[in-house]
Amino acid sequence: MIAIEARELRKTFPVRRGEPVEAVAGISFAVEAGERLAYIGPNGAGKSTSIKMLTGILHPTSGDAAVLGIVPWKKRRELAARIGTLFGQRSQLWYQLTPRQTFGLLGRIYRIPADQERRRLARLGELLDATHLFHQPVRSLSLGQRMRCELVASMLHAPEVLFLDEPTIGLDLVAKARFRDLIVRINEEQGTTILLTSHDVSDIEQVARRVIVINHGRLIYDDRVSVMRRALLGTKMLDVRFEQPPASVEVEGARLVKLSGAGAKLVVDTGRRPIRSVLDDLLDRYDVVDISVADPPLEEIVSHIYARPV
Amino acid sequence: MNPYLAGWRLGFLRTIRSPGDMSVRIGFFAIILLVMTALWTAAVDANGGSLHGYTRTSLLWYVFAAQTAVLGVRPRSVEEIGDEIGSGTVAVQMLRPVSVVGLRMSIDTGEACARLIASFTVGALITWLFVGAPPSLPALALAAPAVVLGCAANIASCHAFGGIAFWLLDAKASWFFFQKLVFLPGGMLIPLELLPRPLELISFALPFATMAYVPGRIASGHPDPLLLLWQLGWLAVLLGMAGAVFAAGERRLQVMGG
Amino acid sequence: MTAVAATLRTAIANGLANRNSFWFQVSLMVANDITWIIFWVLFFHQVGNLRGWDAHDVIVLFSILLTTAGVALGLCANSRKIGQLSADGALDETLTLPVPPLAHLLSTRVDAANTGDLLLGPVVFLLAGNPSPERAAMFLFGVVAGSVVLIGFLVACGSLTLFVGGRGEQADLGFNAILIFASYPLDLFGGATKMLLFTAVPAAFVTGVPARLVRNFDTPEALLMVAVAALFALIGWGTFHLGLRHYSSGSIWIR
Repeated sequence: MIAIEARELRKTFPVRRGEPVEAVAGISFAVEAGERLAYIGPNGAGKSTSIKMLTGILHPTSGDAAVLGIVPWKKRRELAARIGTLFGQRSQLWYQLTPRQTFGLLGRIYRIPADQERRRLARLGELLDATHLFHQPVRSLSLGQRMRCELVASMLHAPEVLFLDEPTIGLDLVAKARFRDLIVRINEEQGTTILLTSHDVSDIEQVARRVIVINHGRLIYDDRVSVMRRALLGTKMLDVRFEQPPASVEVEGARLVKLSGAGAKLVVDTGRRPIRSVLDDLLDRYDVVDISVADPPLEEIVSHIYARPV
Repeated sequence: MNPYLAGWRLGFLRTIRSPGDMSVRIGFFAIILLVMTALWTAAVDANGGSLHGYTRTSLLWYVFAAQTAVLGVRPRSVEEIGDEIGSGTVAVQMLRPVSVVGLRMSIDTGEACARLIASFTVGALITWLFVGAPPSLPALALAAPAVVLGCAANIASCHAFGGIAFWLLDAKASWFFFQKLVFLPGGMLIPLELLPRPLELISFALPFATMAYVPGRIASGHPDPLLLLWQLGWLAVLLGMAGAVFAAGERRLQVMGG
Repeated sequence: MTAVAATLRTAIANGLANRNSFWFQVSLMVANDITWIIFWVLFFHQVGNLRGWDAHDVIVLFSILLTTAGVALGLCANSRKIGQLSADGALDETLTLPVPPLAHLLSTRVDAANTGDLLLGPVVFLLAGNPSPERAAMFLFGVVAGSVVLIGFLVACGSLTLFVGGRGEQADLGFNAILIFASYPLDLFGGATKMLLFTAVPAAFVTGVPARLVRNFDTPEALLMVAVAALFALIGWGTFHLGLRHYSSGSIWIR
């Protein structure tokens, strides 16, 4: 079943002086129910604008979309009852009150029967390890703790789709990793479709199975994360340690990137020469103590994608 | 360029370049003049054409000049100064080799000058339309520097009051009282001669009268240069106070932390 | 309890959460209001009577203004912020909820300082307004209807930002205009201005007509108040909803 569908979505903003800005320039994609999709792009790429059209906040200039079969900007309230949102830079929690008080209000807003609200809170609190935070004033919570409660708030009404817009902004590394893990847990346990926008590439690595890359308002890549890694850069990274610091390292098919003391980093163009023969060559000609072969970092892959002509 | 002059220029240009903001303030000013004209016309008519020597015309020119001088200052200035102190912005500004309060006042004065040019000309036109020519053209001319001096005194005062935030972390209370002090004993709402005698005397003893009453008095047909001297005197005192409050506050920051 | 009522209750709880801060701001506002009363007392001390109005009449007018402003700016504090919220993209959180957006926005923020007006207004009326049951009933009626007019007007002004851009400056001007005019006796103003106050800038219906009703109940005038309140409610609601189609949610930084 298709949970989210966009067809040639376009959004142009009129600007007081000058050319109108085309934030989203014709985007089309479809998301199956239960998928975890990362929607990434550099700042100003059109990510937030896309999400806002899909959640009914913005009316598109042209194009179509349906979320759970509903056109977002036409039946906004009906859709709102079935989706959840988490905008990293905005809070749903009332600052001076406890998260529990906000949850109570949300229960009224989403018309959740009291006993069901209690049960869901217990379950979510346990799942997200946040129960002990429910009765502390929001202003006293750390950002990481607050984000966990925000996630509870977004999930309270058991939405079928969860939209997250830059949710890990401002979190430290540990909190980020933890948060990503929680999103995966929600998806696996509750079957919620996840659409996550980010400009942090680690969000793809840890959360998503599928990635859409958008730049200048256009969709420039749409595939599984694993495929992206493999298909896009025909390179491997070699990290080598030698017995003695070599004078130089020259191997056909490999390019020396860094040489410091007895260690060296090389990049192999596997299109030109298979990695196996490069390794054989290296081991034959040099005294190698240790060697590791790795994929290029995802950052590099993504930058490569951004740089593609649109 | 001297940093304070540069600050003045920055404030001036910044304000000139926001015509939207300016037109709203002028609209606001026009409304006040309209309402004040209605109020004081009725008041003067009900009292045989004159109130303590003020005729309808001289009274409205008083209102014009007094309001212009006060509206030259950004409305929430005291509160903003308090917020900047409370948020630590001032602490960062202290790292620069200029006087924080001096630079701030220069920028505010630049802004005020831009605003005053617009308010004075447009306000004078509107007042002329409503009640006719001013009682004395030389008086109106002298009112211009009086308005600037009144505004400058206001700005210095805002900084002295806003500096309370170094101790209280919040200048909201300061701002409220300050505004009321300019409204009543400052003579913005009502010429001081119309107050009961004891209040009138107290008002003349306070510096707030130089911020609104003096420009108003001059514009109402009393081009007395001594009034300008009075303003200059208080301006010097208020500048000193602002400087002292900020110096003490900054010392406190350095000792207690931001 | 409906979503909107629950939201208002939460907003009040949020505003009261820091008791000290709340009462501090209330007392500042009360002090501010008392200054205005002092001004009027001093003014009439000097001027005497003003086209049939004396200090007492104006203070009753003022009590109506305080209470009405208290409802519109204290309880429904977002009514004057629609312009700013639109420009800042802050309507998002409301638009992602299954609630009527305008009702939610108006119930989601309570301003402590203006709540001071709401508390002081009725007190001033009780002290200075010769409160008989009839006069009190008219006071209440006038305040409720007047609040609807004021809120509708402010929302309409703020919604203009959705159409023309900017940061809500039009709303500020509208806000200042209506409150200034509403602070002064209607009879001060002549022809053209008076007509303005009964139409485009409905200050007459915020304080002037309610004050008249308190003095003398008059059925046609009461019905007029109801009609005008309904009209401005519709204007506010309509402008806002039409404007939502143009909402750009802060996605565009160049404006």
